[in-house]
Amino acid sequence: MMMQRTTRLQGKKRQKTPWSAYLYVFPMVVLMGVFIYYPIFVNFYYTLYNFSAFSLSHTFVGLGNIRLLLSDPVIATALRNNIFYCLISIGFQVLLALGLAFILEEPLYRRFSTVFRTTYFIPVLISMTIVAMLFMQILSPRGLLNSFLSLFGGKVRTGWLGRSSSAIFCAIFMSQWHSMGYTTMLFIVDIQKIPTELLEAAEIDGANRIQRFLKIVVPLVREMFFVVMVTTVSGAFLVFNDVYVLTRGGPGNSSTTLAVYMYDMAFTQDRMGYASTIAILMFVICVILALTQRRLLRTGKG
Amino acid sequence: MKRIIALLLAFMMVLSLTTTITASAEEKIKLTFFHRWPNEPKGPYMDEVIRKFEEAYPNIDIVVIDPVLNDSYKEKIRVLIGSSDIPDVFMSWSGSFGANLVKSGRVLPLDDMIAANPEWSGKIIDSQWGPFQYDGKQYGIPWSMDGKVFYYNKTVFVELGLQEPDTWDEFITVLKTLQENGYPHPISAGFQAEWAVSHYLGAMVQRRVDPDVVTKDYALEGDFTDQGYVDTLNSFLELKEYMNEDPNSVDHSFARNLFIDGESVLCLMQLAEIKRVEDGADFEYSFFDMPALPGGLGDPDELEGAPEGMMISAECEHPEAAAEFVRFFISEENGALMTKMTGELSCVEGAVNPDSVSTPIQLDAVELIKKASGTTLWQDNAVDATVASAFMKGGQLLYTGDKTAEQVMEDVRAALELAKQK
Repeated sequence: MMMQRTTRLQGKKRQKTPWSAYLYVFPMVVLMGVFIYYPIFVNFYYTLYNFSAFSLSHTFVGLGNIRLLLSDPVIATALRNNIFYCLISIGFQVLLALGLAFILEEPLYRRFSTVFRTTYFIPVLISMTIVAMLFMQILSPRGLLNSFLSLFGGKVRTGWLGRSSSAIFCAIFMSQWHSMGYTTMLFIVDIQKIPTELLEAAEIDGANRIQRFLKIVVPLVREMFFVVMVTTVSGAFLVFNDVYVLTRGGPGNSSTTLAVYMYDMAFTQDRMGYASTIAILMFVICVILALTQRRLLRTGKG
Repeated sequence: MKRIIALLLAFMMVLSLTTTITASAEEKIKLTFFHRWPNEPKGPYMDEVIRKFEEAYPNIDIVVIDPVLNDSYKEKIRVLIGSSDIPDVFMSWSGSFGANLVKSGRVLPLDDMIAANPEWSGKIIDSQWGPFQYDGKQYGIPWSMDGKVFYYNKTVFVELGLQEPDTWDEFITVLKTLQENGYPHPISAGFQAEWAVSHYLGAMVQRRVDPDVVTKDYALEGDFTDQGYVDTLNSFLELKEYMNEDPNSVDHSFARNLFIDGESVLCLMQLAEIKRVEDGADFEYSFFDMPALPGGLGDPDELEGAPEGMMISAECEHPEAAAEFVRFFISEENGALMTKMTGELSCVEGAVNPDSVSTPIQLDAVELIKKASGTTLWQDNAVDATVASAFMKGGQLLYTGDKTAEQVMEDVRAALELAKQK
């Protein structure tokens, strides 16, 4: 049967994909086109206009929005915050999570690893909104953190979320607490796939733990490393929920991120054109990051 | 022959089908209604009034569009008003929010309906109509009213022999006295949500700055250069040392709780919050309007707070039925039910009465609203959102020490330029 079909196909002049294949792909192409590609292109067009969601009239401003974007100090603050977010997230959710995963998979700790794994993973199951509510309580002037700090003397009543210098870091650290368990879990799964012979062989050859980690585990989880890196970094540049619920970008705009600022422009201030411009900036950043990482880590082709 | 009979029968069947469909459509009028309270206590109140209405008007069917809370409502109604799916009856804030909806041209002017029902419209408290008038026409019917006032702990005031302050100096003296007598943070405030800042600034700007200048500036025709704005911001900053630590880090409900717990003596709150304070406070309390500011050019007897109301779509197919629904909703009977069930103050004269209130303080609140010489709109409703946002964020940054009053006004002027481009 199989043989017959192949010969039949080869018998034709050119090896053509049967038309039915296009038919199968068609619905998905339409869906992607309408909901992903069309909005992206239209968004580029929108940046040329100033308009409000209320009215259908658009005012042409040309590159005005882009010029505004480049001179807007809030964009600089937002970008700075996103970069902090990104760097700290790489530290915790990629590097530290990998280390943690390795430790939890060490035969020495196997006995307790289930307990730890579960403990680290539980926050992931809680919705971000609830986590933020929880942290609001912890970080409030009369919250847990200050009660704890007061143990070291003095009455601490700092409002961590109310200061321009600390607000964004509160959001970042909350996010680490929330997401680290997830990436750790991903690494654990990948480490478990490493054949035990390799690690045992290394051990017999006299490699210590750190050597085993760097020489065997790290190269073998490279694919997963790439995946986690891409999601963490692009996640850091798209972050919205965490900041929006915890600080709403305040005080002032000190803890805003690109996504929060975009939302603010679109839905609070009703400046749709400018919001589109910020969206384009985010799009460009994410594309550049994804391409760079692909190049640097040289994976995806096996 | 058989065939013809069969055909005839079939034809008749089809015919009867269509007639029943049209008949039922004629019987039942469908009205879509969009409000913003999926939660207690207003959600159940809305359901109750709708139930009563459908009982009284069996030919009208009210279809409630899934209600969503505050901010989501703002977004959703904006989207709906621009779509072909605009709800027949919906809730709106007065001031600039309503103005934006009206600008779309899809909101029905209600002057004829008001003129045709003088007995009904005469019962709505006069001062509440204005905020829903745009270009000389009435687009919304005021439904609930409110005011922003300083609540104070009367027990403490009596104990220390303090009087309600009328001027800023008296106000500061009161605060100082409180601080000296065991209340290190006499005012509680929570500015994490920006609107809380705008409620202070809105009332204070009205007190301080020349009303003509404010009107012009808020209409985006001025330039926000009046020295009064800077003075207002500085007066606002003056309050910081009497407030709880880092007001930016807590939200308004936290501030309210400090007041209820007796830790603070004053808190700027809405009259609609009486019910919440009532449930917790074990002391006597009362309220006073924002004191007059030094060098103030605005009328110090105005009260900040704008009504919420109902609007009807210009595309509504049954405007009479929709008007009937609005009149039913905003009536003495159902207004009283609202006050009883939710603690909100109805705009209908007589609806807030000794039977419907949960505490006599609500009657004082209505008196205070009636006594006010006019209504100061919420600042974030009175001026374009970009400018309002510059004021609110500026107020926060004033408190963190990141900006001075002059710098905040620079940001406001920059925002003005952006707002003009919209």
